Amino acid sequence: MGVAVEVKNIAPSRLHVLFACLGITFLLIFSWVLFHEGTAEWRTTQARFRQLERGVKNPHQLAQSAGVGGLRQIWLPDLGRIDRCETCHLGIDDPAFAGAPAPFAAHPGTWLSTHPTDRFGCTPCHDGQGQATDYATVAHQPQPFVTRPMRPLETIEANCGTCHRALDPPEAPRLAEGRRLIVESGCFSCHEIPGFEGMTFRGPSLDSVGYKVRPAWLASWLRDPKSYLPQSKMGNFHLSADEIGSLEGFLLSQRTQVPLDSTGVDWKKADTANGRALFGELRCVSCHAVNGRGGTLGPELTRIGDKVRRDWLFSYLKDPHRVQADTPMLQYRLNDAQWRDITAFLLEQYSSADAGAEPPPVTYQDARQLAAGRAVFERRGCPSCHRLAAIKETGRIGPSLAGIADRDPDELPYGKNVVRHTTDNYIFLKVLLPDTLGQPSTMPTFGFTPADAARITLALASIRKSDLPASYVLRRPAPAPYRPGGTFGELVGRYRCLSCHTVGGFGGDLSTVPLDRIGSQLQRDYVAKYLINPGAVRVSVEARMPVFHMLPDEAKTIADYLSVVFLDDSFEQYDTRFTAEEARRGQDLYGKLGCQACHQLGTKGGYVGPELSTTGTRLKPGWIAAWLSTPQTYKPGTLQPDYGLSGADARALTAYLTSLGRNDAAKARGGTTP
Amino acid sequence: MTTRVWHASAVTVLTLITSAACRTGPRSQPGDPMLDAIRAEEREGKLTYVESQGKRLFVRYCATCHGDEARGDGQNASNLSPAPPDMTTSKTSQDPALIRRVIAEGSAAVGRSPLSPPWGRSLSQQQIDYLVAYCQSMGRKKP
Repeated sequence: MGVAVEVKNIAPSRLHVLFACLGITFLLIFSWVLFHEGTAEWRTTQARFRQLERGVKNPHQLAQSAGVGGLRQIWLPDLGRIDRCETCHLGIDDPAFAGAPAPFAAHPGTWLSTHPTDRFGCTPCHDGQGQATDYATVAHQPQPFVTRPMRPLETIEANCGTCHRALDPPEAPRLAEGRRLIVESGCFSCHEIPGFEGMTFRGPSLDSVGYKVRPAWLASWLRDPKSYLPQSKMGNFHLSADEIGSLEGFLLSQRTQVPLDSTGVDWKKADTANGRALFGELRCVSCHAVNGRGGTLGPELTRIGDKVRRDWLFSYLKDPHRVQADTPMLQYRLNDAQWRDITAFLLEQYSSADAGAEPPPVTYQDARQLAAGRAVFERRGCPSCHRLAAIKETGRIGPSLAGIADRDPDELPYGKNVVRHTTDNYIFLKVLLPDTLGQPSTMPTFGFTPADAARITLALASIRKSDLPASYVLRRPAPAPYRPGGTFGELVGRYRCLSCHTVGGFGGDLSTVPLDRIGSQLQRDYVAKYLINPGAVRVSVEARMPVFHMLPDEAKTIADYLSVVFLDDSFEQYDTRFTAEEARRGQDLYGKLGCQACHQLGTKGGYVGPELSTTGTRLKPGWIAAWLSTPQTYKPGTLQPDYGLSGADARALTAYLTSLGRNDAAKARGGTTP
Repeated sequence: MTTRVWHASAVTVLTLITSAACRTGPRSQPGDPMLDAIRAEEREGKLTYVESQGKRLFVRYCATCHGDEARGDGQNASNLSPAPPDMTTSKTSQDPALIRRVIAEGSAAVGRSPLSPPWGRSLSQQQIDYLVAYCQSMGRKKP
C-alpha cells in the first residue's frame, strides 16, 4: 500500500524518466550477463581444446566428437555429487590426449579403467569444488568456506581409503602404512575407529607388576617411556611428580600373581655362556630386538636388566602363558637350569652399568596414596591397554573417530599453531603434538615421527560419514579365528604357531609361510625333522623359526596333523611319474629362464629365493608345479615372478627340481645332483 | 530526516559488511604441516609422487640385485654374471619403451642375459608405469 501511495505523488514525466533509467539499467545488466557467459573461462578453454583436437585426431574422429561441447557434468546421485570437471578436462578419458598440455591431458596411469568416470566422477578421489567451472576462483584452490579443496597428489591416498577399507589397500602404500601404525599403536583401545572394529591392543598385564619391575625403573618409565625404550608404544602422559609418586605406589602394590617358586634355583651356578648360546638357539631376536636389531613382536631387550626382577623373569620365561594368556610368546621346553642360565645372561648382558643391585620389594600401605594412584590410573585411561584385576573395564576413554574426516575444519582447535585450517592439519597436529592444540588433552604424546604422523593422518582422513552406498565399499572380512582342539591344538597353543603363521588369514605376519596348504607343499618327514631342528631355506634370510626343544613325539604329531589336514587336493592329484627326458629338459629351462639369479644350487646362484639342492626331499611335486605356474595366486607380492610357463614347461622344471637331493632320481636322470 | 539518516547508515553498514565478505586481498600464508611431512619422502629423493611410488616398488622387487640406489650393488649382485648395470648412468633406464620391455618381459626379451626376470604377469600395468617413471628419474642429478 505504501508504495502505491508514493507512486501517486510522483509526476507522470518523472515516472517516465524513472522507467527509462530502470529499463536501461536492466538492459545493461542483461547484456553484461550475456557477455560474461559468452566469454566464460570454460568456453575459451573449450575453444583451445578444439584447436588442439584438430592436431591430434583424424577427420573421422573429429566428426564423431563434434557434438561434444557446452557445460559437461557427471551426476552421481548415489554419491550426492555433480562434477563438471570434464567441461575443461575434455581429453581426460581419451588415450589420444596422453601427454597433452593441461587441462586437456588424458588421466595418467590406468586409474580410469578401474575407476570409470561415469561411476566415480572426479571429486570422490580428488576432492575440490565439483560444480565450479572457473580455475582460479573455486575449482582447484583452497577457498574460504570450502571444507574440502582439491587434494594434492601426495595425500590422495586418504580418499582411496574411503572405499578401500581393507587394512592394506593395493597401490596405496602410505595409507596401508598409516593403518598398520594404527594397529601397532593400538589407537582403537581408546578411540572407536571405524574399520578397526573388534581389534584389541595388548599391553602387559599388571597383576604381578609389583613382583616384576624395579621401582626406579617404574618411576622413570612413567616420567617418559621413551627414555628407557625409544620404540616404546606407550606415550608420554606428562604426569606431575605427585601423580608419578602415587601411581608408582599403586602399581608396585599389585601383587595378585606370585611368581613361580624359584627357591631351589642355585644362582651361583648360573652359566651365562650357556645362557648366551641358548639365547641364540631359541632365536629370541626373531621377536625381540637387542641394540636396535631384531623383531618387533615382543619388547626390545637391550636394557631389560634395568627393568625386571630376577625371580619374576625366571618365572615368566618358564611359563609366559601363566602371566598373560594372550601373549604371542611361546613356551619352550627347557629345564630350570637352562632358564636360570638365560635369566642370568639377560640380566648381566642387557643392563646399564649403573643399574645397581636389585632392591628388596617395598610394601606400600598409605591408603590415601594408593587411592590417588588408582584415580590417576583410571583418569588417564590406563585400563584401556593394561589389564588389572583390581580395576573394572572402563570402556574407551577417547572420543569416537567416526566421520572425523567430515568435521568442519573451521570449528576444530589449532591452538597457537599457524596452520591452514584443514581436517588433515588438525588430525596431524593432534597425533603428533596433542598438547599444543590449546585444549586440555588426556591423550599422551606418542612421539611419532612427522612422517609416521602424516601416514596415520592419511588413514584417519579416510574415515568419513558412513553414508557411502554399500556397492562402493570394498572391505575384507576379518579372518575367522582358528583354534584347533586336541593334542594338536595344545601344541599350537604352547608353541604359539599362530603368532607368526596364518591359517585362513588368522594369525601373525612374521612368517612368510601360511599354513593353509602346508601339508601339500612339504613332505611329512621333512616337516618332522624341521620342527626339531629348523634351519633357514634362504641363504640371505636369518633363520627365524625358534628351536623349540620340542619332544620327538610332539614334532611327529604336528607333522602328521599338517600332512593330513592342511591339504589342497588339486596338488595331491599331480602325476608324479616323471621321465628322465622331462628332468633333462627341466634342467635346461632352469638355466634358460635364469633361475640361478635368485636360487642357490650347490655353491652357485643367488641369495634371494630358497636354496634348492634338497628340493626333492623337501617339497611335493604337485606344489612345485602349481607354484611355478601362478606364484601370485599363492603368495601375493612374492618375489617369485610369474613366467607364464606352459603346463609342459612347469612339469619339466618340477621333474628336475624333484630329482634334486634324491640319489635315486638323479641316477635315473643320468646326471648328478650338484 | 531521522529516518533518512537511519536508512543511510543501514545502507553503509550493509555495504561495509558485503565488501568485507567479498574481500580477496592478500592473506598471510599459514603453514601446512601435514603436507610438508608427507612430502618429506619425495623431497629427500627429489622425486615426484609417481616416481616415489616407483621407488617403493623398486626397493621391494628390484633392489636385492640392483641395489637400493640402483647402482648395481644389491646384496645379490655378486652372484650374477653378467652383473647388474649401474642404472643411474645406463642409457637403458632413460629409454621408456626399452625399460618397460625389460621390466615386463625380462632382460632375455631384449637379447640380454636371462637373469632379470619378466614382471609383466606379476605386477600391474600401473605398477610398471610407476617403475618406468622411477627409472627415468635416475638420470637426473641428485644432491
